[in-house]
Amino acid sequence: MSAQVAVFWLLAFVSLLGALGVVVARNPIHSAIGLVVSFINVAAIYLIARAEFLAVVQVIVYAGAVIVLIVFVTMLVHPDDLPEFHGRRPLRVVTGLVLGLALLAEVSAAILARQLAGAPGPWTDQAVAAVGGNTRALGQVLYSDYMLAIQLTALLLLAATIGAIALARPEAVSERLAAARRVLTISLAHPRGVDQPELPPALPGAGDGRFKPAGGGRPIVLARSADEFTEQPAWGEWRTR
Amino acid sequence: MDWQRLLVSYLFGFVLLNILLGLMAYMTWFERRVLARMQHRIGPNRTGPFGLLQPIADGIKLLAKEDIVPANADRLVFLVAPVLSFALAPLGAVVIPFGDSVSLFGLEIPLLVADINVAVLYVLALGSVGVYGIILGGYASGNRYSLLGALRSTAQVISYELVLGLSLVGVLILSGSLSLLDIMREQQRSLVIGPLTLPNWYILSQPIAFALFLIAAVAETNRAPFDLPEAETELVAGYFTEYSGFRFSFYFLAEYINMIVISLLAATLFLGGIDGPFADGVWWLVLKALFFLFFYVWLRATLPRFRYDQLMGLAWKVLLPLALLNIAITGLVRLWGIGAL
Repeated sequence: MSAQVAVFWLLAFVSLLGALGVVVARNPIHSAIGLVVSFINVAAIYLIARAEFLAVVQVIVYAGAVIVLIVFVTMLVHPDDLPEFHGRRPLRVVTGLVLGLALLAEVSAAILARQLAGAPGPWTDQAVAAVGGNTRALGQVLYSDYMLAIQLTALLLLAATIGAIALARPEAVSERLAAARRVLTISLAHPRGVDQPELPPALPGAGDGRFKPAGGGRPIVLARSADEFTEQPAWGEWRTR
Repeated sequence: MDWQRLLVSYLFGFVLLNILLGLMAYMTWFERRVLARMQHRIGPNRTGPFGLLQPIADGIKLLAKEDIVPANADRLVFLVAPVLSFALAPLGAVVIPFGDSVSLFGLEIPLLVADINVAVLYVLALGSVGVYGIILGGYASGNRYSLLGALRSTAQVISYELVLGLSLVGVLILSGSLSLLDIMREQQRSLVIGPLTLPNWYILSQPIAFALFLIAAVAETNRAPFDLPEAETELVAGYFTEYSGFRFSFYFLAEYINMIVISLLAATLFLGGIDGPFADGVWWLVLKALFFLFFYVWLRATLPRFRYDQLMGLAWKVLLPLALLNIAITGLVRLWGIGAL
């Protein structure tokens, strides 16, 4: 038992060190590395508590997905364009402090309530073993007692996914619909049999004198994105024009 | 007897690690020889018989090279990143079962280092942490090509990890366990379809999952035709452009160890592990893994590299929906099988 306690203190210490690094580091990438160290050590603490599933999921979701995305985005932004993390912003400092204290209060309340009641929770070692292990017990509880919460979370994630796709689209949805309508308008005057789509007003027109057709009578092609010139559609992609 | 088990585990892990390192060296030899044959060349044949000493010569050469750190590199991160990549690679092998268990000196010794009850997830977790070696190496080099390579690699690995994980769900539904030992034992039973008696290998009941796993595994290990992160025609060498000497070799070794581990995993998950005709044993596992390693080399010799948008489109628009479909079908069949429908 004492060995376990020693390992716990070691992990807790390194985890706190990582967390401190997140706050202190001036380089955002170094902050992210500190956060990963902290997360992995917390996962190891879960392992000591025999919550293998939770430990592995912690590593996959937090260390493997969330922080990778943070690092990814940080790398895409030039360091000079990043917001100043260590400027004197009293409002932010106070907000962080208040939120941190609130979280601390919540967690201590949860732990102390259980401690003061003196009773162990329903999931003792024997109860978990009777169901057939930690993973199985977690799965059964999640998909029976907490079914509503799971469904709501799934709904929220679905909404977020749809939102992300809508935001990431190159054109607004209304423009897509308009493009689809244009394809349906058959024009006999145009060699393609389709009306030329209107270009957005932001691009300079061919007639305003700044752009002269080069190489004889070839028209100037104005493109809103490089995709319009890709010769070959990507996998699963179909193009309207 | 607890400490004895622990000691045996550690010893077994030590031996396994060393075998893996040796195999990895000869994997480079194997790849060069096979690739040469496929391209009507001879390949390394000067160092020792059949060029067998070539990996050793390469290793000595790499160790003796100068270790260069670029002036505008993020020094500490630059030095640690390849070590991280290399250290995480062989850890996946500790959950691969090399057989049931043997009795030695009255002690029941399981033929795997650690029977973790979430072994499949553990391997996936290792993969997701392994990305850091690449992304941090690319970032810390302070070089545009490295950064671009790292960005590509991260996007690729995150996308294909999803496919890899989801393709395994079908197997997990059928076996009802996350432990590789249980999954292997489940496949040692026989599958009776009418007059046919087949082994209960999951490649037969989960062919879509197997295909998805194979594709995702190639992408996950950054191998051709998905070796976009190191596309030499566009990115010099991708995320390890600035690395030299043994730090470069760490990335190189990590790639080959990852290939071996994922081949062993594929053999265990879909081809029944040690199960085979005549006599079950570790030789079947090795043969199956060798087949997958040959498949890797074969792919490299045959297919041209994907374009980047094709790569991402393939993952998100083709493979991911297929994986979800497979899960839905498998779930329904399973429910029907246990009479819940």
